[in-house]
Amino acid sequence: MTPELHRVIYCSRGDIARDPSRARGELQRILAISRKNNAAAGLSGALIFASGNFAQVLEGPRAALEARFERIQGDPRHRDIKVLEFTAVTAREFPDWSMAFAGDLTADQQDPLAFVVFAGAYAHRASGSSAAVLGLLHGLVQREDIWSFA
Amino acid sequence: MNPFPTPRSERPACLAASSRQGLGRLVAVAGGMKRRAGRIAAAPVEEVLEALGEGALLLDPGRGLARANDAAGRLLGWPGKPPRRGTGLAALLRRAARLDAAQRRRILACAAALQGAADAAECEAGGLILRFRRLASGQTLIVLAATAGDEQAPRDPLTGLANRRAFHTSLTAALARPGASPVLLLLDLDRFKHINDSLGHPVGDALLRLVAERLRGRLRAEDLLARIGGDEFAILLEHADGVAGLAERLVELLGRPYLVEGHLANIGVSIGIALAPTDAGDPETLLRRADLALYEAKAEGRRGFRFFRPDMDIRAQARRTLETDLRRAVALDQFTLHYQPQLDLASGRLVGFEALLRWAHPTRGMVSPGEFVPLAEEIGLIIPIGAWVLREACREALRWPEDITIAVNVSPLQFEDGPGLIRAVQGALAASGLPGCRLEIEITEGVLLHDRKETLETLHRLRAMGVHIAMDDFGTGYSSLSQLRSFPFDKIKIDRSFATQIEAEGGSGKALVRAITAIGASLGMTVTVEGVETDVQARFVDDSGGHQIQGYLVSRPIPPEFIRALLARHNPHPGGPPHAGGQPHTGELGKKSSLQDNLGSRA
Repeated sequence: MTPELHRVIYCSRGDIARDPSRARGELQRILAISRKNNAAAGLSGALIFASGNFAQVLEGPRAALEARFERIQGDPRHRDIKVLEFTAVTAREFPDWSMAFAGDLTADQQDPLAFVVFAGAYAHRASGSSAAVLGLLHGLVQREDIWSFA
Repeated sequence: MNPFPTPRSERPACLAASSRQGLGRLVAVAGGMKRRAGRIAAAPVEEVLEALGEGALLLDPGRGLARANDAAGRLLGWPGKPPRRGTGLAALLRRAARLDAAQRRRILACAAALQGAADAAECEAGGLILRFRRLASGQTLIVLAATAGDEQAPRDPLTGLANRRAFHTSLTAALARPGASPVLLLLDLDRFKHINDSLGHPVGDALLRLVAERLRGRLRAEDLLARIGGDEFAILLEHADGVAGLAERLVELLGRPYLVEGHLANIGVSIGIALAPTDAGDPETLLRRADLALYEAKAEGRRGFRFFRPDMDIRAQARRTLETDLRRAVALDQFTLHYQPQLDLASGRLVGFEALLRWAHPTRGMVSPGEFVPLAEEIGLIIPIGAWVLREACREALRWPEDITIAVNVSPLQFEDGPGLIRAVQGALAASGLPGCRLEIEITEGVLLHDRKETLETLHRLRAMGVHIAMDDFGTGYSSLSQLRSFPFDKIKIDRSFATQIEAEGGSGKALVRAITAIGASLGMTVTVEGVETDVQARFVDDSGGHQIQGYLVSRPIPPEFIRALLARHNPHPGGPPHAGGQPHTGELGKKSSLQDNLGSRA
């Protein structure tokens, strides 16, 4: 067990390009940078972008995690950031991923499950939603075809 | 010019001496290494820079920063990590939170002088002396020291930002520049005190550092940022272009969540903005007007920004008038107490009265506490007013039958001076001769939020004097139930909003009254429901196991001269404790309704 291992789960509303190909480019840049930085800082996690929303699980040593989260707060490409969970954990959920990605970039292909999860995360209290986001990400990350573009 | 002309001590002389000595030592070491190794080895230079004990920057010729020691970072005040190797001097100075644009220009001019023939140059800016020296290696060494009189550094040690004094100096200078139109933003964090209290000062300090970094990251290099108080920041912009957009972005940015020291923190910020020279041309007035705008931003629900408007001055003037009147009212004894009875449901008898403060203003007429108590609390007048209420209520209660109690509201502010409150209670009891057990102190949940330990001590000492303690407005706070565990209250008073919901279709009032009553009763507390206006509500309270009711159904608050008549009506057999057994309530409650008509309540 890594000492001080923590996990944060948050969701936010994306302010990225509407055009799918530009959005794809922007997301690829976000992912490339976050994977490089995360690997260097010992962080792992998963990110989903669906129906205009981000949800991210980020895990690793507390100090590195807090510093990364603070960097993410400075990013103008999203807003309405809501932390669903921030807690000490005994093990990583995505140990093999510097940042796994599950995404859906076209508005007419909204993942119904993701839609429900985001609606819940913003409508209700954080508790419950964090487990839902985690479950969603686990499910989607396993569906290799969805994230393979990135 | 030294902006901080405080008296000299022996320290500046010592500083200057050690500075020269340090410089010589460094040159010698660097030179020695150059001869031996042909280049400057990294570690020894760093050690020397740290050993210098003063701020030092080493610049490579044409390639920017080679080294900076920690002291330089502290003196110049760059938030977060030190600048990267290779950062140019201009960029270095832009990151120095302590310096404003004019000071940066002065330092750069000084550095430019070094490009010529001079081997050494010196300048003073922002409370710092900077000594430039061109080394034999071609590198430039800058040694930084605080100026004389700068024993109290003009920077905030926590965030590295300018402090209030330095900010004021810069503001004065900015306003003095001909044709200048700077903008002042005052920022006050919302909910910071709560974080500081609940998570502790180390977390609060770390949070303030994050706030400073977020602000710095969003401002331009020429903007001045300062921490001017506990959770107050100030920003000085050179002009007003885009200030509304900036304020909006800052509100959004600082309102984003923080992960700090293992905790999640959600705070916000309110911003007041004043423009020079439109709003004011001198620093004091500009600060005051930005503060008025900040006050309005806070009053309008926080997490927002407001520009100063002249009508804010008018409202502030009205507040000042009310303040003057209020101070006069204390001196002229313009306060009176009205009393609202509390009815015991089991016996149908009146068992006590709550004293309610009224202000008979010479021109405004009766002013309700809601209008003046917040102001009285803000300006500290609540302490003498509160003491007067205690004295007057006890004096009045002594004229009543011995089984009638008097309840007095005590403000959270009175609890901040626990010993003072205890003296006021003791004084009121002693002066009137009223036994302590006939006095009931009503507190709101707000009392228990701050400094719980001392508050609980005060409550226990009051209890030791025989005084009863009631929790007022129960159910409106967000931690009502946990408050009940913290102190063995004698009584809880369920907030009036629940009573009105009892008859509401589909409302949760019934279930809540029933639940709270059950909890209170099981903890051995008397349960009073406030704001009871109808027989239906009263019957429901009785059926739910509630003990007492207070509200217009029994009587509105009345002047003391009506109390005797009211008691004669309700408690026809004077003295004696209330009956233990149940009574047919319909008759009793019916009588109350007619009584209410007699007194012309529901005014």
